[in-house]
Amino acid sequence: MKNKKFFILICLIFLFSFTPILNAQEDESSEKELKWSGYFQTDNRLLLENGNKFSWKEYRLDLKAEVKPLEKVHFYSELWVRSLGFSNVQSSIDLVDRNKISPWDLVIKEAYVDLLGVVSDNIDIRIGKQRVAWGTGDKLNPTDNLNPNDLEDIWDFGRHLGSDGIKISFYPGDFTIVLVYFPQFTPSILPLGDLAAALSPSGDLPDGIIVGNLSDKIILPENNIKEGSITGIKVSKSILDFDLSLSYVHTRDSLPLLNKSVLTPTAIPGTVDIYSELIFPELNIVGADLAGALGQIGVWAEVAVTFPEEIMMISDLTSLGMGMFDSIALDNKPYVKYVIGADYTFKNGIYLNFQYLHGFVHERGAENLEDYFMFGMEWELMDKKIKIMPLTGGIEIKDFKDLKNNYAFIYSPSITFKPIDNIEISLGIRLLDGKDSTVFGKVKDLDEVFFGLKFNF
Amino acid sequence: MKKITVLSLIIFSISIFLSQGLSANNQISALQILEKADNVINAPKDQALTIKLVLIDKKGKEKIRKMSMLQKGSDKRIVKFLSPADQKGIAFLSLPKDVMYFYLPAFKKVRRIASHVKNTKFAGTDFSYEDMEAIRFADKYNSKLLKTEENAYVLQLDPKKGIKTEYSKLIMWVRTDNFYPVMIEHYNKGKKLYKIMRRSKIEKINEYWISKESEMEDLRKKHKTKMIISDVKFDSNLSDAKFSKRYLSR
Repeated sequence: MKNKKFFILICLIFLFSFTPILNAQEDESSEKELKWSGYFQTDNRLLLENGNKFSWKEYRLDLKAEVKPLEKVHFYSELWVRSLGFSNVQSSIDLVDRNKISPWDLVIKEAYVDLLGVVSDNIDIRIGKQRVAWGTGDKLNPTDNLNPNDLEDIWDFGRHLGSDGIKISFYPGDFTIVLVYFPQFTPSILPLGDLAAALSPSGDLPDGIIVGNLSDKIILPENNIKEGSITGIKVSKSILDFDLSLSYVHTRDSLPLLNKSVLTPTAIPGTVDIYSELIFPELNIVGADLAGALGQIGVWAEVAVTFPEEIMMISDLTSLGMGMFDSIALDNKPYVKYVIGADYTFKNGIYLNFQYLHGFVHERGAENLEDYFMFGMEWELMDKKIKIMPLTGGIEIKDFKDLKNNYAFIYSPSITFKPIDNIEISLGIRLLDGKDSTVFGKVKDLDEVFFGLKFNF
Repeated sequence: MKKITVLSLIIFSISIFLSQGLSANNQISALQILEKADNVINAPKDQALTIKLVLIDKKGKEKIRKMSMLQKGSDKRIVKFLSPADQKGIAFLSLPKDVMYFYLPAFKKVRRIASHVKNTKFAGTDFSYEDMEAIRFADKYNSKLLKTEENAYVLQLDPKKGIKTEYSKLIMWVRTDNFYPVMIEHYNKGKKLYKIMRRSKIEKINEYWISKESEMEDLRKKHKTKMIISDVKFDSNLSDAKFSKRYLSR
């Protein structure tokens, strides 16, 4: 009976919520028509070594559809239709499989409905698959933790997956309060191909032991409200010359963490099979960010304090006659990631950007956070027809105390040519070097040239 | 004889009155002219426009951009790009006290514009972000009447102390009949003339004067941007809420 009353109440709330929509004054006819836009983009990359192998091939059609059928209702969707990767034909039977010959995929980036000031003038509601981008940093955002990371292409910093859920934005006075609720947990997409090495943890085995088969099991959280849902709140306000925000997110790490390993001997002496289990630890993240100017220079800062749950790691070596060992996979001590940045544009069109990041997206625990100095320079010439980026890259420092053995760098100059509106042709090179202990040092053999075309419509 | 004397006195009095009136008109101060100009260009309570920007390079090649613009009073303005496709959805909000934001749909983020951006070109046009701000000149500049031409007052505007601007001075031509500013010369920090804005097709719509076509010319780069205004709507009671970060991202 109680449930029935609750259900009726919910129905009534919805009914009243939608009544103003039905009564809302209709907008001009142009906004009521479905509008299509998007882009077509090619992205090809060629390794400088390893026999000049192609390392990436992506032909992406981005399609956006948007309509505002009523003054207070807005629908938006964005899809990617992609030809991604190379032919993956292993045997003659694969030659009848179109997807193996020419792999393609369809990605729903976002699809949502906005109810703008429907429930109350000061409340906007967004329901559906959506991207909620928090943080003031330039593509490096420690407080951007609601959507899972899309690390498929690690050079496309800041890319995230859309999440299904609801976002409610309130605007009381000068404040903006945003509440987000995503009912289900979604893991991150990990880097594709050779780039996977960059984010892979390095594990040590006792001397003389060789790994045979590797297998693992990903244990997703229970698909219920308690275990799988993600919630967030952000309060923003402008004070003096700065925009400030405070945020809190309850989520799970969208990158898996190893919490169990079972080593089993094989028939070949000295060789073991390894079976692993990976989970997604629960995290509570308190964040703050600001953006503004110091004199003529644009500045921003972002800090996220993560309170993780403690995760134990079980190493099961019983089959090797060595018993079971416990260790801490993730300490419950809070750790702090942050980014500070600044930018400046000179009168001649040269744009400079610098960021210092402490803690990359996959790093966890205070002792494991590294430092990254990222920089960029853009120079637009010939009425913006040519954009030169001669100084784009970054330096990674894993340990300042032993700099010689703990550094890496990326240097990626490029040039973009816009012969006419909506068409962009780009060419660049990415050079990597560093020590194997570092994120980018692990992929130092993947120096590449990249070239692409983008057509907007 | 008596009649003639009285008539002479009347004529003399009228002449004195007229001459005083004319001299008072001649003595209209630079500040009064500038305030009147501010009042004329910002007269509507609010305005909604569609803007076509024609970018013309030194070879005469043209590029077209389209935007919608809303303005309330003299200090709130929101501009949204409608075309070309690679700029569609980019939006720009100008608020009082030099506060500006832009919205980049690709990143789903509203970002405050630092002052270094204000001096740069607005979307490749010859207008800077500063030029696109909604302002009252009298609030930012001290004025000096340089001369009065047949149809225009010529004012020199010098930035007030503490005002951040890319210009060392402006020379403004203000029409004598309706106080509409028809031409502004922009001088850079090196005190060299480098941009000229010319306003034409000045029409009265309802009770308000508006220039339906203006042109900003960069003399150094020999590049021009024409701004052609259409779909003008005045006083449609735009709410303050439309000039907010909330609306910028819609």
